[in-house]
Amino acid sequence: MNLTPEQRAAGRRNFLKAIAGVPAVAALGAAAIAKGPIKGGRVKVGYIGLGGQGRALLTRTDFSSVEAKALCDIRPDSLAASDEILKKAGQPPAKHYVEFKEMLEHEDIEAIITAPPLWAHADIVTACLDAGKHVLCEKMIAKTRDGYHAMMAAAAKNNRVLEIGYQRNYNPVYRSAYEGIMKPGVLGEIYAVRLSWGRNGNWRRHQEPPSKDYDPSTWGYPTWEHLVNWRLYWRYSEGLFAELGSHQVNAANWFLGATPERVQAMGGVYRFKDGRELPDHVFATFEYPGGITGTFSSIESNAFDERFEMFFGTKGTLVMHNENEALLFDESTDAARPTGVETAPKGPGALLETSETKPQQSGGAARAQTSGAAAEAISPNTYEIVTWANAIRCGTPLNCGAEKASHSASWTIAANEAMKSGQVVKIL
Amino acid sequence: MAGTLTRRNFLSLDFGDRRSAGDHWVRVHRVAMACRFEVMLSSDDAIDVEAARAALDEADDIETMLTVFRETSEVAELNRRAAVEPVAVSAGLFTLLQRSARLHAGTDGAFDVTATPLSRCWGFLKRDGRVPADAELARALANVGMRHVTLDPDRRTVSFARAGVEISFGAIGKGYALDRMAGVLRTHGARRALLSAGRSSVLAIGGRGRGWPIDVRPQLASHTAGRLWIRDGAVGTSGAGEQFIVADGRRYGHVLDPRTGRPADGLLAASVITGDAAAADGLSTAFLIGGADLAERYCDTHPQTMAIVVGADGTRVFGRYDGATLEQTT
Repeated sequence: MNLTPEQRAAGRRNFLKAIAGVPAVAALGAAAIAKGPIKGGRVKVGYIGLGGQGRALLTRTDFSSVEAKALCDIRPDSLAASDEILKKAGQPPAKHYVEFKEMLEHEDIEAIITAPPLWAHADIVTACLDAGKHVLCEKMIAKTRDGYHAMMAAAAKNNRVLEIGYQRNYNPVYRSAYEGIMKPGVLGEIYAVRLSWGRNGNWRRHQEPPSKDYDPSTWGYPTWEHLVNWRLYWRYSEGLFAELGSHQVNAANWFLGATPERVQAMGGVYRFKDGRELPDHVFATFEYPGGITGTFSSIESNAFDERFEMFFGTKGTLVMHNENEALLFDESTDAARPTGVETAPKGPGALLETSETKPQQSGGAARAQTSGAAAEAISPNTYEIVTWANAIRCGTPLNCGAEKASHSASWTIAANEAMKSGQVVKIL
Repeated sequence: MAGTLTRRNFLSLDFGDRRSAGDHWVRVHRVAMACRFEVMLSSDDAIDVEAARAALDEADDIETMLTVFRETSEVAELNRRAAVEPVAVSAGLFTLLQRSARLHAGTDGAFDVTATPLSRCWGFLKRDGRVPADAELARALANVGMRHVTLDPDRRTVSFARAGVEISFGAIGKGYALDRMAGVLRTHGARRALLSAGRSSVLAIGGRGRGWPIDVRPQLASHTAGRLWIRDGAVGTSGAGEQFIVADGRRYGHVLDPRTGRPADGLLAASVITGDAAAADGLSTAFLIGGADLAERYCDTHPQTMAIVVGADGTRVFGRYDGATLEQTT
């Protein structure tokens, strides 16, 4: 990027924040979600898989759209933590299950929100769809191609709504960038996309089993350690390409209106040689039709890059940074004056506050940004769940859907095959 | 499946109850003229983001033309040469000078783009304020006044009657830029947008219902003067809270009366609502200087002009603007 000396000195991390000319989008999220029950009443939901992500979805559920009827997890500690979330949200307690099939059999529920380890997605979701339930399944859609084909076939056969949790599709910043930048072709011709997600930390978790005699082998995990650290083993996980990369590739596919055709990749367990199987560093290069090349990298040894998706066009560059701001740089004009694009919730109150100029003022609308827009930030997951509930009740469209989600899964699977084989792999 | 309507789903459709993640504001912004220029669009109009960017390019171009902080600007060139010979200027600059001259005449000289020597004399240009000596002030005042500026529309030239005359569009430049940006947006087909330059200049293109809600809140006033709903119109605000110096226990605001060379006093702030942002900006400065009397007289004789003047004794409103509704704070 073409930086001024001052900006270089401030460092790249600060630069990425400062370059929009304003603080990062504090006002992200919106009061756009109207309160009150949706037509036809709240959707009666059972939650399956209440680990970290499952509980995040439970926390971000809009309970005017969804009624939490039952909770299912193989870990008693996860169920107990979920009870607390419901209590905090002022919701009545939900019945507990360990086996999801028992929940399907005994509970009066219409739909499932599920976030189990990846390898369990296909079996659980297919069974739920076959039982006539609508499903919101955390990403990635499934660990195998057969798995997601079965899920999509079950959704079609049973005429049920199936959404996959790629929350960028529900993020106002991404939707604005798509509508305002990508769709009108503001960037010109795009030949390169760079996706990056850098972290500096260990994915391994250290947790105590809920009891001494707790035996996870019933559910296919030979040891407690495997259950807790399922992301580190090929049997259950597709690693960084799935957990991080598929989010970003899903967004890139959406923005480009295309899916990649072939991929090559490298990676390995370089830093944390503790018996894990899944690489802690991965790098992939992949091609879309028409000569668009994408790269994705994720490293577990440095967080300098944070996470971003960059789209490079002949007229400009779009940077989607940390899921909360969009930065636009013109190719034509000097980079000292970038154009910022941000979103703010619509709410009651004035859009601007006008007064005389303030002394030494620059960034004069700073106060106006929060005026009337003091709404708390609403998680894209909340939009996702509300949109899914509306799709169930009213047949309104989803923002992602299983088919688009399957394209990022097929990229992930092919990237891992390419990394293992050293070959260029066709993305099926 | 999503997107496929079953009969049951069709019967339960209720579009009034649909909640959408797309219902938000999109703000496209850039720093120009030492403040934030912004085009606010509803997310339904996000297709106009490209037009907004083109409009911000226009603001850049206008700053390049008007700035007195760069030696290479057209206005800097004009100030260097116009006392020596008539200087040919661009159509845009000439039109802006003509408009400034009309505003000057219409406000009894309260609006004046030649007041720079006074600001320098009071130290406001370097943000190092001081009360000038009488003789110094008199020397500065001698170089101030539109009578020293000759505009020749046939040749599109500008000349100054004496050395020391300076033009500066500080009181009107942001509004003028917003007008030009609105032109760019409309040319691109935009039908609704709220444009702002810093806090003091606002322009509305279109608007739903009563229009765009804007709070008028001068910095020295104890509370909001009111909420303004505006469609197709502009708001300009000037105030004494902007910059000031304190000397001998007195507060001197940085808006100077070009006729006396002394800081305007009497009003805390003046806002003007009219059809274009350059006039709204210029008139708000003029009314701050000329006081409620000038605001009342001007609004009586100029249709589609509304003034909100805020004094220590309260807020008064003169005139009306068809696209604006003011809910006054009581």
